[in-house]
Amino acid sequence: MDSRERIETAIRLGKPDRVPVVPIIDFFSARYGGISQHDMLFDVRKSDEALEKTLRDLGPIDGQHLSYAGLGRIMQLIFPNPPVMPGVGGEPPDGQFQFVERTVMQPEEYLEIGRRGPLRWVLDKMRLSHPELKNPLELLKAFGNSFADMAMIKRSIRRWRSKGVESLVAFNIVFTPLEYISLFMRSFNEFILDLFRRPEEVREASRALMPLMRRQGALMVRMSGIRRVFMGGTRTSASFLSPRQFEEFALPEWEEMCEFWVSRGVTPVLHFDSDWTAFFPYLRGLPRGKCVLNLDGTSDIFAAKEQLGDHMCIMGDVPATLLKLGEPEEVDEYCRRLIMELGSDGGFILSSGCTIPVDAKPENVKTMLSSVHRYKP
Amino acid sequence: MELKEEEVLDAVRESLEGGEDPLSLVECLRKGMTEVGRRFENKEYYLSELIMSAEIFKEAIDLIEPHLQRDSCEVKGGVVIGTVRGDIHDIGKNIVSTLLRCDGFQVYDLGVDVAPSAFVDKLRETGARLLALSGLLTLAFDSMKDTVNAVVEAGLRERVKVIIGGGPVDEKVVKYVGADAFGKDASQGVRLANAFLGG
Repeated sequence: MDSRERIETAIRLGKPDRVPVVPIIDFFSARYGGISQHDMLFDVRKSDEALEKTLRDLGPIDGQHLSYAGLGRIMQLIFPNPPVMPGVGGEPPDGQFQFVERTVMQPEEYLEIGRRGPLRWVLDKMRLSHPELKNPLELLKAFGNSFADMAMIKRSIRRWRSKGVESLVAFNIVFTPLEYISLFMRSFNEFILDLFRRPEEVREASRALMPLMRRQGALMVRMSGIRRVFMGGTRTSASFLSPRQFEEFALPEWEEMCEFWVSRGVTPVLHFDSDWTAFFPYLRGLPRGKCVLNLDGTSDIFAAKEQLGDHMCIMGDVPATLLKLGEPEEVDEYCRRLIMELGSDGGFILSSGCTIPVDAKPENVKTMLSSVHRYKP
Repeated sequence: MELKEEEVLDAVRESLEGGEDPLSLVECLRKGMTEVGRRFENKEYYLSELIMSAEIFKEAIDLIEPHLQRDSCEVKGGVVIGTVRGDIHDIGKNIVSTLLRCDGFQVYDLGVDVAPSAFVDKLRETGARLLALSGLLTLAFDSMKDTVNAVVEAGLRERVKVIIGGGPVDEKVVKYVGADAFGKDASQGVRLANAFLGG
């Protein structure tokens, strides 16, 4: 089996020749490979060299999960609430990429999204942090640059595929409307209060944004040629919402979004940060054998296997803390348990819990990557 | 008890107009928050409900405050809190900060990306005996460690307890940074504060 077959077999709930390993690695590989975080985000070639060295020293992988390499300019542009970007605006070049919790949307604007039209409304918000985009030529240039960067990343994806490293989701990043509003528009606390104070307006905004979120994802899929999408979920998790709120606000969105992708032959990779354990039963409503549940080390991944193992591929979840502070023996034991218990009847992909941290111990990363060769369920 | 914001605030207004003792109203609201905390720990309430409760509490206190005599409320003790250097995540820190205030602590919230020296200065200035450090990135572990070292070097560690919190924090991290304990959620953070400051 090659890497791609191995990954696809696991996704379809089959049992591959061994468990595939597909981490989010480029924050770590940049530092290990001797380049800054800034270079990783803005220079695909340098990032590829750093990854090359990392894999040469620490072991092969079947695929890269979400990769940030070369996405710097795009991420600076598209988020209405621009993240902290290493080497930009006075930030140190080797600093950490981070999202900022900031409110760029007032509570009375929920209904504006539908009235103004979601695309025009989002562009208005982008212009708050990028006033130059008011000039149509600048807008065109900015999007032109983004397409050029995506083309560059696509070439890198092909090079890696020829070396047996599959790109799981490329830059196909999709959000459900409520995750998007909470992360980039309202900020966490305000969003939570809105759910109590103006529930109907929140639902209305969700309905209005949905077509734009889907169109944006479909464009990414076309650009990358990878028929899997990364769907980030954290703000609608059980760490924050009650089951009643999840059922009322978030579940319909997750179901609608997943069904949309599946009906187009695209696999949603649900990258669920924070604790989703209490919401696992709801995920049985998603199409069987068509989605990946990717956990970050906070949810109970063993409970996920028990409750959902016959329904969706489970992916995860070597915790960041273990990779930084643990000993190789501890990492080995955790990976062994994951592989033997979750991979026993297939449908499992070994991955880092969210990203491998920049300051992980190299020997721990090596132990994690090689564990799939040591343990055969 | 349900989370009906307007009903609670109307009831507070009516009680104040009716001449009810403002201190007894504060006490009543605190009891409400204790009940919310209990439900959260029993998993009857989720974090969103904790946040909404704290918001209602804050609004009610704002209504009552002008009717209180200065310093009539008992304050449990001082807590210096912040997200450590290099990390700007503040969701968890803000929730803990709010809940500590609701529970009667004097909270000095230094914000995000806080240098070790700023924590030390605030501890000196206020005499607070509890330091609460937050962080989501693994890089924050080193900043937490630097902060605890700075507290040791300033000669304050004997009288200051250090608690830490944030997504990836566990017992291993407590040991690594030299803290006293960690809170796995906001409610536990408040419990630790009460345990250490004798609330």
